[in-house]
Amino acid sequence: MIDPVTLEVVRNSFPAAANEMAEDLQRTSYNMMIYEVRDFSCAIVGASGELFAQNIGGVSHFVADLDVVIKDAVERLGIASFRPGDAILMNHQRVCGQHLNNMVAYTPIFVGEELFGFAMVRAHWVDIGGLSTGFGAGGGMVTDPWVEGLQFDQVKIMNEGVANEPLMKFIADNVRYPEAAMGDLRAQLAACAVGAQRVQELVDRYGVDVVRLCLARVFDDTEARCRMAIERIADGEYVAEGWLDHDFVDRDERVMVVAKVTVSGSDLTVDLTGSSRTRRGSINARTRAAAFIAYKGITAPLEPLNEGSFRALRVEIDEGNFMMATFPAPMAQWSIAIPTAVDVILKALAPALADVVPAGTYGTLGGAMVFFGNDPSRGGKRFVSQTIEGGGWGASPSLDGQNASVSVCQGDVRNAPIESLELKYPLLVERRALRPDSGGAGRRRGGLGQVTDIQNLVPGTWSMSSIPRETCPPWGLNGGRPGQPGYCDVRLSSDGTWENGGDTRKVVGAGAAQRKATGGGGGWGDPLERPLEEIDVDLLEEYVSPERAEIDYRVVVDRATLTVDRGATSVRRSEFDDAPR
Amino acid sequence: MTFIATDIGGTFTDLVAYDPETNTIYQGKSYTDPAAITDGIARCLEKSGVPIATAAEFIHGSTIAINTALERTGARTALFVTRGTRDVYLIGRGNRPESYNLFFRRPVPFVPRHLTFEIDERLFASGETHSELDEESVRSALSSARARGVDSIAVSFLHSYVNPAHERRVGEIIRQLAPELFVSLSHELMREYREYERTSTTVINAYVGPRMSAYLEALEVLLAQRSFGGQVLIMQSNGGVMTPSTARSQPARTMESGPVGGAIAAARIASRLGIDQAVAFDMGGTTAKAALVRNGFPEMSDSYFVGDTMSGHPVMLPVVDVIEIGAGGGSIAYLDEVGALNIGPESAGGHPGPICYGWGGLRPTVTDANAVLGRLGSSNFLGGEMPLDVDGAAAALVGQIGGRLGLDAESTARAIVDIAVNKMALAVRAVSIDRGLDPRDCALIAFGGAGPLHACAIARDLHIPTVVIPPLPGHFSALGMLIANIRHDFVRTCYRELEEVQWSDVVAVVEEMRAEARGLLDSENVAADSIGYETYLDLRYSGQEFTLRTPVADDDVAHGNKASIRKTFDDMHLERFGHFAPDEKVEVINVRVVGLSRRPTQSIGGSSATGEGPQRRSREVGFTEGGRVVKSLCDVWQRESLPTGFVVEGPAIVEEYASTTVLARGDRAVVGDEGELVVTINR
Repeated sequence: MIDPVTLEVVRNSFPAAANEMAEDLQRTSYNMMIYEVRDFSCAIVGASGELFAQNIGGVSHFVADLDVVIKDAVERLGIASFRPGDAILMNHQRVCGQHLNNMVAYTPIFVGEELFGFAMVRAHWVDIGGLSTGFGAGGGMVTDPWVEGLQFDQVKIMNEGVANEPLMKFIADNVRYPEAAMGDLRAQLAACAVGAQRVQELVDRYGVDVVRLCLARVFDDTEARCRMAIERIADGEYVAEGWLDHDFVDRDERVMVVAKVTVSGSDLTVDLTGSSRTRRGSINARTRAAAFIAYKGITAPLEPLNEGSFRALRVEIDEGNFMMATFPAPMAQWSIAIPTAVDVILKALAPALADVVPAGTYGTLGGAMVFFGNDPSRGGKRFVSQTIEGGGWGASPSLDGQNASVSVCQGDVRNAPIESLELKYPLLVERRALRPDSGGAGRRRGGLGQVTDIQNLVPGTWSMSSIPRETCPPWGLNGGRPGQPGYCDVRLSSDGTWENGGDTRKVVGAGAAQRKATGGGGGWGDPLERPLEEIDVDLLEEYVSPERAEIDYRVVVDRATLTVDRGATSVRRSEFDDAPR
Repeated sequence: MTFIATDIGGTFTDLVAYDPETNTIYQGKSYTDPAAITDGIARCLEKSGVPIATAAEFIHGSTIAINTALERTGARTALFVTRGTRDVYLIGRGNRPESYNLFFRRPVPFVPRHLTFEIDERLFASGETHSELDEESVRSALSSARARGVDSIAVSFLHSYVNPAHERRVGEIIRQLAPELFVSLSHELMREYREYERTSTTVINAYVGPRMSAYLEALEVLLAQRSFGGQVLIMQSNGGVMTPSTARSQPARTMESGPVGGAIAAARIASRLGIDQAVAFDMGGTTAKAALVRNGFPEMSDSYFVGDTMSGHPVMLPVVDVIEIGAGGGSIAYLDEVGALNIGPESAGGHPGPICYGWGGLRPTVTDANAVLGRLGSSNFLGGEMPLDVDGAAAALVGQIGGRLGLDAESTARAIVDIAVNKMALAVRAVSIDRGLDPRDCALIAFGGAGPLHACAIARDLHIPTVVIPPLPGHFSALGMLIANIRHDFVRTCYRELEEVQWSDVVAVVEEMRAEARGLLDSENVAADSIGYETYLDLRYSGQEFTLRTPVADDDVAHGNKASIRKTFDDMHLERFGHFAPDEKVEVINVRVVGLSRRPTQSIGGSSATGEGPQRRSREVGFTEGGRVVKSLCDVWQRESLPTGFVVEGPAIVEEYASTTVLARGDRAVVGDEGELVVTINR
């Protein structure tokens, strides 16, 4: 029998340690991908890769994905290769399956002579050589890992407490922002040290066997909670599909996501094997994140993550699938399909979970605006500026969708303040605004997307990364209408006109601008059932234009007061009653 | 010469007053009627018998601003912003801190979109003009806003923190054309970059402003009726006080003033006892709060959220850095669906309260567990006013929890208390470690009704060697208000590399803020020799985002001693984060100035031991030893009877009217000069 107090202490202490690591990392990192975008994860894992705890609040597509790093090291190098004082770097796509910027730094935790586990931090380095600056370097430019950047395959940066100086110099010489890379590495290693210390304290106090016993029970409890949620879903097989328009290389071929979800008692299987095969464009990855995120969202979204979180989930993705691509497939834009894949899995479950599943979200990682160049006012110093803007979320049975929020993968990612962008970089943000009419109509309306116009005051390069969901807009559910898809335009001079920006890099002169419009969320339920008072609010707030209200909600709008004309509306609707919808 | 402090809580209004000449303490407590807040103050004044007409100061902590925001009962407010940024306030930062929550809701804005108006004007980040202010667009927005019935207007333009000319002009136009409206200009509250956070702060200020003004007028009428001729001072979130006229225009500065009194009092007691680093720990019925005290001052934070950190409204104003922990005496213990024992965050609150109060509570709480362990006296709780139903509590512990875990009532109680203690210990550790403080180098200063009950156990968990239980722990927060300085915080964003910055620019900015502080302090009629200033630079390594608020000595300001400033920063970075980079470039982000009028240091309380000598009873009390509960007959001392220098050896209980201190075996308490208990914790 485990002492209930010790059990709770262990249960609370591991997530507290992982969160402490995250806090430390975020506060001292050197690039906005970490401190603003929170593109990192911190975890404490066991000697064979089992997840003891992962921080809350980082990007979700790093969910429980560090086990493969440990399994690979143990399998190829052996457990004896780890020594106290070691620190290892790993980003190799053969195992990690993500873009090379995502650098894992990890350290072994020893209890006496015995390896207890690892403290691990994965963080997005702003540059790792090659074409790695910005998000996947745009379009189809990355054709293989060597074009993309440097690969680290379980390399010791610290050897029994001694820094590998030649390797440090090699890295500094081969990345574009060495101060940032070295600073981030320092922050990662400091965070690992914090995690290791917390584990050490706990083990010293209760003994390694008791801690292991408690962890086993904690995992069981988490698993049991998840099973309870799944048990409420009717047994059956649920199928859905969605897609990206293309992979930026083969433009007339959709990237299909096909999800078959099987519920049997408290077991749930997500089978993605019907999805597209490995593509020539760099949207490939090795990731189970889509299934994990969707599962977490419907089971225990607010609970800490641990090994029990996904034990009752089976994920099937066949080798060679674009989400389980074989090295050396290009993976520079590894994550952009994940939000769509999450949405597809949830959509499959919508008939069984009518009160839980929202309509489609804007559905891509989109909203990133990246500009790089040299700043003459700072002695020609090279800079890269980035901000990530949100889009519209799908409506759910009880709520309108949220406006302009980041995707399900991005959690606590925050846009860059306009004043911060303009203070640091030669940019002028002309507009950051909601997109009226972009939310899908419905009993509950989809959230609004956002439009952002940024002018560059010096020559440079925009990374255009368009949002390839035009032919598969964010879907409605239960009679709700789809949201408007997003787009990405460019204006080549300050008095020029907006035109399609394509999806590779765009070299521009001063006064040019990028416009990024993110999609709106899908609606939920029949638009004709939306209460007229809510349509009045939509009109007053200019979330919906009078023109669209009359078409989508079949009302008549009094243009003077900007409210629904009740009498005229009921006449208009009765005229339609006999006509087929 | 009496100094009066009143504190308006959600349930009770508290009054504590002190006359240093006669060493007299007055106390009053009454219920709070949200519809007539000043009536509660009037009742307290009467009950306490404090001589109001001759009192020197009336220091007031009010929850009007925070409650107006939380209950959304503020003014109909309009927002004027730069063309192109109408939705910045609605969009916020676009984040969803609860990553996996498919139904995460962002904060509901205080100004709807249709009351947000774009004004034609634009500045560059340098402060230079991109487009002139179009005054016609201001007048047109103003007439639309008035047509829609607004009472208050917030104005927040891009880069106004560096050049406030356009905001200022808009303020003039509004005040001229619509003098009845409350106006809040973002640069008047803070001169710091980040438009969403600054706008949110300005909107909140405008939203709560009219109600705050009305309230302060009512308060002044009430005091005038009682012939009060002294100074009224309003408590601020930054741990200082200000005059009502400042509070009227900047009510947002009072937002988080509720919990700061305790931190100020803890800072004072720490410096009196020569304690450099301490955690102030305040535990009441529903929550516990922790704040750090370093070198005699509470730690500050430069921003906070109204509501909660996940989905609250950001406010970018300095605040005493108080962390809330969802565990108090009333926190409910329960087994969840997988059989894990949880404490809180649900609380039994004041009513029905814990089972042992006998007011109809049915779910066991931390207080019930303490009663079952004999840590709370069943017959002399609240001085014997309220007998505790220990049997009822014990039956519920076994029936709802222990039975399913195979534990008897006392073992269940011990588990509940120890889990609550661990939960609080983790939170206290997070507060200290995150801010670079090792708990082993700290003292724990514990107060509030339930603080002394758990303090020694929390300290043991964290290897904290010393616990201090101040006198009157139940009134400690109100006492803190009596010693708060008049304080005003100023900030200017000044983004440069430290090496390259023209030091005369920094000095100019510091001088400008000091002049502003001086003007404000003069308008508050403070004595010239009480005025002092503090200067800080927010620094970071080039490329980082988060800054450290680095104190700069006056000498270093005057002589531009960059090396010394930089060393302070490097050392702080190392202390706080475990690494530093002395070879890398350092950036200045903000310059901060604090203007203070220091109050004379007062000694409050003191041992009031009566001549009858230490009074002792004894009873059976359960303690955790070797991972299980062990009962032993132990001394129960009456705190008021203990003279200075008296030593209490654990295991023991020290009881007083509104609080109980628990000492485990080996803990050793000594009564200090002013009646505080200084406990050395057994490891």
